[in-house]
Amino acid sequence: MITLDGEKMLWQNGMTVSHLLQEIADAHQYAVIRVNGKYVSRPSFDTYVIPDDAEIYLIPMIAGG
Amino acid sequence: MKTFKLKDIKSLTYQRPEIEKGYANQTLCVDISDADISIKPVSAEMKQTFVGGKGFDLWLLWHAVSGKTQWTDPENAICMASGPMGGTPSYPGSGKSIVTSLSPLTGSVIDSNVGGYFGPYLKFSGFDALEIKGRTSREVVIYIDGIGKTVTIFEAEGLPEDAYETSSVLTRHFGNEKPRGISVVSTGPGAKHTLMGCLNVTWYDSKRKRARYKQAGRGGLGTVFAHKGIKAVVVRWDTVTMGANNPADMETMKTVAKSYSREIVELDPKQNEMAKIGTTHLVPIMNDFDLLPTHNFKFGQHKMAGLIGKDVYKDIFDPGFDGCWIGCTVACSHGVKDFVPLTGPYKGIKVFVDGPEYETIAGCGSNLGIFDPFTIIEINFYCDAYGLDTISVGTTMAFAMECFEMGLINESHTGGLNLHFGNRDAALELVHQMARGEGFGTVLGQGVLRMKKLFASEFGADAQILQDIGMESKGLEFSEYMTKESLAQQGGYGMALKGPQHDEAWLIFLDMVHNYMPTFEQKAEALHWFPMFRTWFGLCGLCKLPWNDIVPEDNKDTDEPAKVIKHMTWYAQYFGAVTGRKVVPEDLITISEAVYNFQRIFNLKMGFGTRAQDILPYRAVGPVTEEEYESRQERYDGQLLEKHGVQIEGKSTAEKVTALRKLREKQYEQLKDAVYERRGWTQNGIPTIETVKRLGIDFPDVLEILKENGVTM
Repeated sequence: MITLDGEKMLWQNGMTVSHLLQEIADAHQYAVIRVNGKYVSRPSFDTYVIPDDAEIYLIPMIAGG
Repeated sequence: MKTFKLKDIKSLTYQRPEIEKGYANQTLCVDISDADISIKPVSAEMKQTFVGGKGFDLWLLWHAVSGKTQWTDPENAICMASGPMGGTPSYPGSGKSIVTSLSPLTGSVIDSNVGGYFGPYLKFSGFDALEIKGRTSREVVIYIDGIGKTVTIFEAEGLPEDAYETSSVLTRHFGNEKPRGISVVSTGPGAKHTLMGCLNVTWYDSKRKRARYKQAGRGGLGTVFAHKGIKAVVVRWDTVTMGANNPADMETMKTVAKSYSREIVELDPKQNEMAKIGTTHLVPIMNDFDLLPTHNFKFGQHKMAGLIGKDVYKDIFDPGFDGCWIGCTVACSHGVKDFVPLTGPYKGIKVFVDGPEYETIAGCGSNLGIFDPFTIIEINFYCDAYGLDTISVGTTMAFAMECFEMGLINESHTGGLNLHFGNRDAALELVHQMARGEGFGTVLGQGVLRMKKLFASEFGADAQILQDIGMESKGLEFSEYMTKESLAQQGGYGMALKGPQHDEAWLIFLDMVHNYMPTFEQKAEALHWFPMFRTWFGLCGLCKLPWNDIVPEDNKDTDEPAKVIKHMTWYAQYFGAVTGRKVVPEDLITISEAVYNFQRIFNLKMGFGTRAQDILPYRAVGPVTEEEYESRQERYDGQLLEKHGVQIEGKSTAEKVTALRKLREKQYEQLKDAVYERRGWTQNGIPTIETVKRLGIDFPDVLEILKENGVTM
């Protein structure tokens, strides 16, 4: 199991961030997520493999500056 | 510590007005040339058109200076103000002050916002704004005692030279029984010896029992302050309550403040964690998207960026509540406890360092090729203590380092300093030289614009390459974001009123990452809307971070997520609840438009403010060198071929650099056309008569300036 924004979700072996975002509506709005405290950005979404028991937050990154 | 003396030169006792709907309804003017202290009324028209904060500052400064005034002239004023909502505890980000003056770097108006308690305490002491004019050969301290209802000018002797000690000493002196009631504005020796001096504005950290400070960094405000002979401005006030602004509708204000505060407490830990790590989260994110300036904005990414990001600083920051205003739940002003510098006057001594924030890490770290978090902390500490703007220092030093690596300057010019990127000792030595007004530090202290001229005229360097890689516009050094791949952000910097500072428009993510604005017209709309809304924060005494750095969970489901409409609605309610002016969210844009256009015309008054000044060094637009092009060849080749239909087969890198440059520079000019039209300006970048009439700023002297610049009905 993994936790996404506080909600439990099923984890699958080899699950990448891109795989995870396919399960989410409006996923295109997320360019950065936080996995176990580490940022993962869109350029790495296809290759970053999410570990089991991960705690994940979607970062609505529109601000900065 | 040596003793100091404060000798009373002039005092004025005044009747302190009750605050009404966010306003004291008067401003304080101190002319230090002849020690004159006076109080001016605030009219209903002034509030209606200029609102407060930066609006009041600009109005006061406009009347203080002529088009011929230089920053060194006594009539140049330093104006500081809060705003009608400034000083509300519990509403996140309600403690900002705005400082304006004529800038030593640009020659025109500069504005810089800053946290700390000064602006709110000034207002509660009876003044919506402070205007300081004149110049004196003796060092003075201006003391505004809101409890004792007295304004005093002191002649000062023996105060410490730097802002770190001065802040501490004056907090203890004036706030012996209640240091939390004191806020000190001061600068340091770097401001005296350079054109990029900053102002430090304090608040008292009761937990750590020390004065902390934030900086009004941009444009050399500290230099003006020091040149005038001002050692410090101190304000004293009492307890701040939710009723301190005497709002028109207390219940609504409380309700909105509570909702906003709660949302931040709930969502910040899920989003950017600013209450724990400040703005350091931006370092890895900018690096991932090729936006973190490294090596004088040559590249946007570096393999060692992880050494200076949030994961490192979260372990270095002293944990605790770090709000720079009372009750602000964003609480992003972190610091480093018991830091021991390796160089300079504090070598070997434990100090507390306020920061670093993202801009300092990028400017004085990655952009210098420095990936050592402790060197960045040391540069941060000394820049603040010396009264130097970390952004201008970083960008200026990066320019010098690249010139050194390119052989445009050498050790005979730098006083023997080896200025290769990554030379931490040299970077620190230059900061100390800037503060002492010695060596190559005096050259750096002039800023990039003047260094370009000097390197060409005195050192024989190629003027074109200096122009291309010297990261300034309008005389102000760039803040720390890469703009090569975001045309909208090129506009955000190039058309910013005061020069390339991101507080007007930060559109990189919306444009480059999310592709929310693919057309010129959409970019122009964003370059209208965002600068106007961000201006509004500076009119009201507010910090913009709570608006869109923490966003509602359902924001993505709204029609225009970039605007964070739920928060805009709260801000409109907050504005109405305090001032009694009933507004809807879009009114906030119109309110700001008047002040924004007035500032553009103020630039015109000072001899710039037309299309010719809205220019960028090519480094901000595209790859200057073959090395830059080849480092991202796939990207640039793809753009030439697919986006522009340019045949690249058989072309050398140099030819492709030239072809791309021609296209990108043309795009930027097309963007200017679209933005000027959207803002209601002529194609020369000047507000039209119709625009100034619509906004209610068609004052006779405004119309006269427009006429002098060829704009008539």
